[in-house]
Amino acid sequence: MDEAEVVSKLLTFIENKNAVEADFDQMALSIFAYQFEHNLPFKKFCLARGKTPKTVRHWADIPAVPISAFKTLDLTCSSPTSAEATFMTSGTTQGGKRGKSYHPTLAVYNASMRQNFLERFMGNREKLKIGILFPPPVAMPNSSLAHYLELAKQYFGSEGSSHFVRSNGIDYERLFHSLEDAEENGVSYGLLGASFSFVHVLDEMERQGRRFQLPPGSRLLDTGGFKGQSRELELDTFYDALQNAFGVSRANCINMYGMTELSTQFYDNGNAVCPSVKSGPHWIKTRVVDPLTGSSLPKGTTGVLAHTDLAHFNIVTTILTEDAGVEVDEGFMLHGRVSGAEAQGCSMAVDEFLISAAAN
Amino acid sequence: MTTDVEYVGRLHGLDPERIHWEPRQYGGDGEKSLIALTPNLQSADLSIIASKVRLNARNSVKTWPVDRVLTAIDQTVARLLDRSHPVRKKMEHLLPIVTGYDEEMVRIGLTGYLKTFRKPQLQRFITEDFPNPGILDKFQPLVKGGFGRAFGPDLLAHVWAGNVPGLPLWTLIAGLLVKAASVGKVATAEPFFAGWFHDVLAETDPELAKTIALVWWQGGNTELEAGLFREADVALAYGGDTAIAALAAQAPASTRFLAHGHKISFGLIGREALDPSRASSTARKAAYDVVRYDQQGCYSPHVFFVEKGGAISPETFGTYIAQSLASYEEKFPRRPLSLAEASSLVEWRMAEETRLGGKVVEPCNGNWTVSIQLQDRALRPSGLNRTIRIVAVDDLEETPILSKPYKTLIQTAAISATPERLFSLASMLGEVGVTRVTALGDMTSPEAGWHHDGRFNLLDLVRITEIEARAETAAEDLASYAD
Repeated sequence: MDEAEVVSKLLTFIENKNAVEADFDQMALSIFAYQFEHNLPFKKFCLARGKTPKTVRHWADIPAVPISAFKTLDLTCSSPTSAEATFMTSGTTQGGKRGKSYHPTLAVYNASMRQNFLERFMGNREKLKIGILFPPPVAMPNSSLAHYLELAKQYFGSEGSSHFVRSNGIDYERLFHSLEDAEENGVSYGLLGASFSFVHVLDEMERQGRRFQLPPGSRLLDTGGFKGQSRELELDTFYDALQNAFGVSRANCINMYGMTELSTQFYDNGNAVCPSVKSGPHWIKTRVVDPLTGSSLPKGTTGVLAHTDLAHFNIVTTILTEDAGVEVDEGFMLHGRVSGAEAQGCSMAVDEFLISAAAN
Repeated sequence: MTTDVEYVGRLHGLDPERIHWEPRQYGGDGEKSLIALTPNLQSADLSIIASKVRLNARNSVKTWPVDRVLTAIDQTVARLLDRSHPVRKKMEHLLPIVTGYDEEMVRIGLTGYLKTFRKPQLQRFITEDFPNPGILDKFQPLVKGGFGRAFGPDLLAHVWAGNVPGLPLWTLIAGLLVKAASVGKVATAEPFFAGWFHDVLAETDPELAKTIALVWWQGGNTELEAGLFREADVALAYGGDTAIAALAAQAPASTRFLAHGHKISFGLIGREALDPSRASSTARKAAYDVVRYDQQGCYSPHVFFVEKGGAISPETFGTYIAQSLASYEEKFPRRPLSLAEASSLVEWRMAEETRLGGKVVEPCNGNWTVSIQLQDRALRPSGLNRTIRIVAVDDLEETPILSKPYKTLIQTAAISATPERLFSLASMLGEVGVTRVTALGDMTSPEAGWHHDGRFNLLDLVRITEIEARAETAAEDLASYAD
């Protein structure tokens, strides 16, 4: 297969809502063969583990690449220089190195986002007035989240939809005006953004003594957690505060779980109860694994999440995250990050060594 | 299924009925678990405990000859070495549950460790710092003239960390030898060992045991840490740089604060050790150092620098180590890792694998990893938990330069080379911060009386009171028999 063929097959697959497990398996194996052939660092990774298109017989046998590898390897089937977009992680860990995902075309990413968002956030409604608590792509060209949120606005935003974060921070005045406007005119509103931005907005509303009662049909979408950029809140406290401040019930507060190393997002069906259950569309599958062996753990056991995202066709479909989780009916529940283990004794762990050596 | 219950802490001076004890579970939900009852302490409680043990020490050990202390420790350790003693049985049964280490490894480790605290070893321990141990009992003539006597602190505070069983014994015994009262804060990861030692000491010398109190709180409680250090003349702390810095900030200027930070250790293997008749046993010893307590000790190896030019190449030697690790895994399985540990190990392995000239050897279950590096020579940490870096070097003499940037972070170096090279390498390594040079296979069992991190275990704790020769002369003038 060449790239054009992979893209075309994927676009068809994403549209095919009747796809079954066997279809997924077949598609995953053919993309694995494509990546094995064209992505040399990935091929080396597979060979070191004795995995080739001949030995991998089921999608779950595709070796999961640890996300740390995105920082050191150029994982791509096509030339990085001709990429339509390069998404990078924020580089807050591992000495500022950033994980990279090259997209020769955004056609698949965009189709994946569009179909999934329509179903899981829009509830198959066509348009909403959308406000975005995150900078636009011009300000952050390497942010997959900026791109994702821009797509939400482009595809689903009615007139007056807007970004409310600029380089100098959140434009509270314009945001509150926009929310007031929706409130007064009975227009359903979708407010989307980074979880920590919501905390900043909540704090500002508290300071100004403001509250909104957004019209029925309004929804909120937060993503990414607090990342030390705002106060850390318990999930229940956070969603209670959102419900109280915006008049949107917790059942309509959706959390999106996405990663730069993927081209598909996971959503929950609201946060009336926390932690919520996350799930994705038919072109992504998640296993809960033992990170050392990559083997699946029994349902109900906490492990590390490994995702197989067919839409991430140019890099690798299967990644080993640093997120702990547990498989449940209808999806999985997130249990937070697992990285950054400390030594149990008086020896030194890697992270600690890096910090101490830098201070030396 | 029975679940053992153990009290954490030995709170002399407090009424245990008055304390609120909170349960903490160790081990899984399966057959083997242990409930620790931990005391909920206030700063005022620490003052009461400190006063009590200080008073007890003043009325007992401070007035005794050090030999009585040696005897008491010796008898205590003898009981702990006796596998039929109930406390020893408890240690063998419960420590594997608490720490996750293999039972057999714990048993062998305990015996090997405890026997370094018998009377002859303790005498060596003292003599290392005090050539005339009598200086701990009475004024002794000094070489420069006059007399001197060493006084231990009235109260020695200890803050232990980590899950290496028995770690508290070093400083507890050091405290006893200088006749200090002790208050030790046990580690959450392994809070029991110190208490069990206390209990057996109470069998052999109850008065001496009353000079040791043990406390616990969740690390980072600055109020209690400050409370403890306020009471102490000298404070000893173990932990990572961040934890040590936070603890040091709680110690008043009047308290002497001594810290043992986390360290990294390594081995040097010369081409002379890499001939076909020696290489296997060299690899076995190196692997043993890796296996012992899953590299959690400050003396545990992270890297073996292996010299090129021997009959066996560094790469082949790496596979020998892999074989040895595989057979040790059969005998002493690695303890189960937490998800965070496993996940950071995956990250480490990925980084090793992607280094130029790097190759990783490991079994399907991932229970150990050998990273063979033919080009990257930097001193970098292992991923811990039975993961080792084999770094090829042209000459062992290059290695001191490689470790130089990490002067304050390195501790032990094992050397496998000819006697001439042993001494020349040791002197080069000493210059860049290595404080202990040992043989392969012995990295994790320091000799009795070793200078931990290059310091004086006992001398650092005491103050010396001197009677100058002039005072003696002046006193002579006032003698009843003076002319």
